Amino acid sequence: MLEAELAEKFTAYAEARLPGARNARVDSINRIHGGASRQTYSIDLAYEDATGPKVKGLILRRDPPDSLIDTERRVEFAAIKSAYGQRDLPVPEALFLETGNDALGAPFFVMGRIEGGDPLNPFRLEEVEPHRAAIGEQFFRHLGSIAALPGEGSALADEIDSPALDKCWRRELDYWANEIRSNAMDPQPVAEAAIRHLERNPPPPAQRLSIVHGDYRTGNYLQDGAGTMTAILDWEMAHIGDPYEDLAWATDLLWCGNDQERAAGLTPWPEAIATWQTASGCSFDPAAFEWWSLFSHVKALGIWVTSEKAFAAGDNDDPILAWSGWFTHAAHELMLAMRLGPKYGAGG
Amino acid sequence: MSDIGMILDRIGRKLVTEVAPKLEGDYSGGHAAMSGLMAVMAGEAWDGAADRLANEIAGMRGLFALAGADVVVPESPSLKVSDLTAERNALAGQLTTLQRSLEAREDEAAKDLNGKIWMHLMATAMARMPSPPDFPEAED
Repeated sequence: MLEAELAEKFTAYAEARLPGARNARVDSINRIHGGASRQTYSIDLAYEDATGPKVKGLILRRDPPDSLIDTERRVEFAAIKSAYGQRDLPVPEALFLETGNDALGAPFFVMGRIEGGDPLNPFRLEEVEPHRAAIGEQFFRHLGSIAALPGEGSALADEIDSPALDKCWRRELDYWANEIRSNAMDPQPVAEAAIRHLERNPPPPAQRLSIVHGDYRTGNYLQDGAGTMTAILDWEMAHIGDPYEDLAWATDLLWCGNDQERAAGLTPWPEAIATWQTASGCSFDPAAFEWWSLFSHVKALGIWVTSEKAFAAGDNDDPILAWSGWFTHAAHELMLAMRLGPKYGAGG
Repeated sequence: MSDIGMILDRIGRKLVTEVAPKLEGDYSGGHAAMSGLMAVMAGEAWDGAADRLANEIAGMRGLFALAGADVVVPESPSLKVSDLTAERNALAGQLTTLQRSLEAREDEAAKDLNGKIWMHLMATAMARMPSPPDFPEAED
């Protein structure tokens, strides 16, 4: 669908749903690069209501033919609703959800646009200077705050199951192992060996069940260039589970600019863990972290092989999928091999 | 004109340093930059692909010989990357089966061979890792 056609259809849709809105028009619509799991558009919607003319900044997230992650937009919408307005978390307001194709040709949801801020490229972390410490403090505080959000009673809990404390790891490992086995276009001996290792050496039960963002990392938040994180985005992999999953994913080496001294390439490890513990109420357990950290590499491989398959099949020709299937896949395979090999007497 | 690696490298740099900046602000600008980056990487990978696959194949056949395992995978009929990849993939599937059987054993011979398989996996993963290109001349 062309952007002009999309804008016309969206105008009619939004006018019908905004209370008292009339004379609506789309002043601008721009597709945002990245976010290959959904087609993402930034929209300025002008309209009038009883209080006069208004311009509302909106983000439209529409399902593509294929994406990096096969998720239900209903889950992402519910996750954003669950976090919005909680504990100072900078999360956009979830506005409209459509699960059918009638309005815009594909399912979509709409959220309020948070003004001010750009994503930080995890491969160019130096661009955060001179605000690295400030962003790092917020990064781990907000991560801890998400971990403190109770899954029970949340909008997200209405959409998905909550596992038992001692089954969080099993559910996630089974899911991503199945993604790898279903989508890999060639044998994955490193991933398979890692999956077996994780099965033989399970982590301790989760300390609590919480909302797990699922993709909390540099690249998926906005910052204003002056030391403030303005928005936490990309909730499409959200679920209820062990908060260690988010901590490990957020600090995965791929997002750290190869800086192993600072967690997520932002904050010295002791400070990062202390901030996360204070905000989350969880206590840091190295054994749990080690398991979830290795699991993060496996989960990443699950995403990358799915990306590669979608690109190869021509379902989605966004080059980011080819990059994911090649560079980032190779990076996580290397991380797994170098971490697990020495445990089995190789090198190290 | 037969230096494929050079061609891909030049095309990629053109996309990143000249085409993508002109498309800045447009959705296709990101596509151009990413495509250029990968063209440069593909140029480098093209040169080493057959060598890397041959090394992987030789490494796995060596491990199967150490295990005394029967290998029914035929040798590649040519040095085409597609043929070598098919042979590599068939062997890699068998390697997972072998490793799983070794993990179920407690004897030192099994542990030793499993360690060697991990050495192979580490070396393979290292060889597959593309080096991200540097674009000092790019504006962004």
